[in-house]
Amino acid sequence: MTASIVFFTTNPTSTTRSRLVIATTTSTVDSGLLDYLKPYFDKRFDADMTWLYLGTGQAIAVASRGDADILLVHDRAREDAFLASGNGTHRATVMYNDFVIIGPANDPANIRGAGGAVEAFKRIAEAGRSGKTLFVSRGDNSGTHALEMKIWSAAGLDPRERGWYMEAGQGMSSTIRISSEKQAYTLSDRGTWVKLKSALGEALRLQILFEGDKTLLNPYGLILLNPVKYPKINSELAEKFFLFMVSKEGQRLIESYRVAGEQIFFPAFGKAEDIGLPSEEEEVRYWIKRLSENGLEPPPWVKQR
Amino acid sequence: MAGWEEVFYGLVKAVELIFSGDPDVVQITILSLRVSGLATLIGGALGIPLGALVALRTFRGKTLVVSVINTLMGLPPVLVGLVYYILLSSTGPLGFLRLLYTPEAMILAQLTMVLPIAAGVTISSVSTIDPKLREVAVSLGANPLQETAILLWEARVGLLTALVVGFGAAISEVGAIMIVGGNLLGYTRALTTAIVLLTNQGEFVEAIALGIILLALAFLVNAILTLIQMRSRSSLFAQTYTREPQFKR
Amino acid sequence: MSLLEVVNVYKLFVGREVLKNICLDVRRGEILSVIGPSGAGKTTLLKLMNLLLYPDRGKIFFDGVDTEVDEKRRRVLRREMGMVFQHPALFDTTVFNNVALGLMIRGFPKKEIEKRVEDALNYVGLKGFAKRKASSLSAGEAQRVSLARALVLEPKLLLLDEPTANLDPANVLQIEETVRRVNSEKGVTVVIATHNLLQAKRLSDRVAFLWMGELVEVGESKEVFENPKSERTALYLSGKVVY
Repeated sequence: MTASIVFFTTNPTSTTRSRLVIATTTSTVDSGLLDYLKPYFDKRFDADMTWLYLGTGQAIAVASRGDADILLVHDRAREDAFLASGNGTHRATVMYNDFVIIGPANDPANIRGAGGAVEAFKRIAEAGRSGKTLFVSRGDNSGTHALEMKIWSAAGLDPRERGWYMEAGQGMSSTIRISSEKQAYTLSDRGTWVKLKSALGEALRLQILFEGDKTLLNPYGLILLNPVKYPKINSELAEKFFLFMVSKEGQRLIESYRVAGEQIFFPAFGKAEDIGLPSEEEEVRYWIKRLSENGLEPPPWVKQR
Repeated sequence: MAGWEEVFYGLVKAVELIFSGDPDVVQITILSLRVSGLATLIGGALGIPLGALVALRTFRGKTLVVSVINTLMGLPPVLVGLVYYILLSSTGPLGFLRLLYTPEAMILAQLTMVLPIAAGVTISSVSTIDPKLREVAVSLGANPLQETAILLWEARVGLLTALVVGFGAAISEVGAIMIVGGNLLGYTRALTTAIVLLTNQGEFVEAIALGIILLALAFLVNAILTLIQMRSRSSLFAQTYTREPQFKR
Repeated sequence: MSLLEVVNVYKLFVGREVLKNICLDVRRGEILSVIGPSGAGKTTLLKLMNLLLYPDRGKIFFDGVDTEVDEKRRRVLRREMGMVFQHPALFDTTVFNNVALGLMIRGFPKKEIEKRVEDALNYVGLKGFAKRKASSLSAGEAQRVSLARALVLEPKLLLLDEPTANLDPANVLQIEETVRRVNSEKGVTVVIATHNLLQAKRLSDRVAFLWMGELVEVGESKEVFENPKSERTALYLSGKVVY
């Protein structure tokens, strides 16, 4: 699963259009959002939007080498580190999706009635210790995995090296399928879950057992790479993509995307505090200015500022 | 870090990992050896007699069988993995065996790839044995089983090569065992699947380190083979001794 | 008394009659040469005697037993014979293993095998060769190993198919000497196919002349060589006709 460049162009031999390479994660690509956005972006900016299918760590590594034009991931700690190192110049929260805890229908750990994600995890650990159930983790230092570990640590637990906790070291789809085989619990982003469930139907013997907790929100950061540090990247088109994603049109498209009839992503530009994140006011104001300079509209909830 | 630095640091890290006896690395290495080793032994134990049978008997459709075996030698590993996944998954026909995501499933997938290699090379090695030797064996009163054993012993260097090649293919295989094994830490994570994971995580130095360990294992096995091959060829061939070479290399 | 009887035997290969109506007795304790030009069918005849081939017509009796039986029983009969082919055809292993092979097949105990192999190697003049690799031997040595391999089984019947055809005179005489000894000392019946007339003259009690698949003449060695009954025999023996 080394970096694979996925081309969804209708005109593969086109060299006249400017190409954008997005370094992003397997979860993001698997959700299908980028496929959905591509025709709009391509048309609007006469471009060819492409993306790399990577683990979070690798996406960041690839971006640090200047092998991509822009970075879209969901691991705040590492995003901040990326900026701090000077590799990135601008970062904004553009959207969020949420995670769900899925598991076997009979819910051996009884998390259906849990008060929060942290409590659900505590119950899973307890059931695991008494041999009643298992938990399968991504175990791959991905953004998903980082969020999972945050919840464990909030619960005061270190689940590793316990017989009931397994680390798959793979992407979300594979991890879900492993969980189904083993009738175990796992944490998944809603997008991958919905897609897989609609594809496999009854063959996937799991259900959503817990959702809706604020701790299960997964915000996405879009990061502009430093054009001075990476002179060879397509910084012009990267900035256009940034503008597109934070514009009224882009945010509306994100909101309208459906998987099997369900909304997966929620626009979040300028809504950082609403979802419990530190303020991004400065960044938001910068982009409002850039939007107007480029003849683009900001999303309605931001207009008031 | 630019590319070559990573290789260098990878080398350093590999040495570090080996000598510090890092338990995860040890566990992963042992699993790789165990899975590929057993797959090679079982695949060989089944494939070699099969190959001998095909080579020594004449029957209708022999050419077809040989062609099929030769084709199977080039089975794409990831396809093998996929087929076994479908068979072994809980909704599949063999789901009741609960083999999916176990080392046993990995062994199964890999021996499926080694078996045709063992059979194919056996057929080729045994077929090129001087037919007079076959006559000699029969003339000495060997029954079919003994005759087969004698000829297999005669072709032993070729067969050993088949096993070593099979092992090399197995231990560097990644697609099949990723699919049927699941890369579960502590259970089904092998060197190759661990390398994939580390690469995905952007941890290139560690990935290269494991890659070096993998190379070292493959090199070791090949060195043993070369030694054996050289020892058996060291004796000179008599000039008027009219015997065709066993196998062309 | 006959050890082996070939009665009205025909053998066909690809529709061609390679052996026609062969009637031949091999008497116990004798050395019988089968002479004739190359392609006459000598090898085929010997292979039939060694039960490696089935006759298309006719029968072969070994020690009074009809050999037209299933392979399993033929194998039992075959174990009472030893055959030496024209080319040594040794296996890629030590001399010891090559000679011991027949004994190992028959399930002899280890000690017995070791003793017999040593004796056999000494008998053919290859004392101390046990550990040598077969592939390192000269042609003469290899053929002697081949002979030892047959002798170690203490067969009733020893079949030799042009055993010295490719060897130098010294080795030829060596092997002939061994054959003579094994016949006189141990009473082994010998059938030797050869196109070396002098060798046939040196070794055999009786001679059978095979020509184009037919047995033209059989008789006491002295008789056949000095007073051949058939003109064809005379022509062949005088060297005027080679094929």
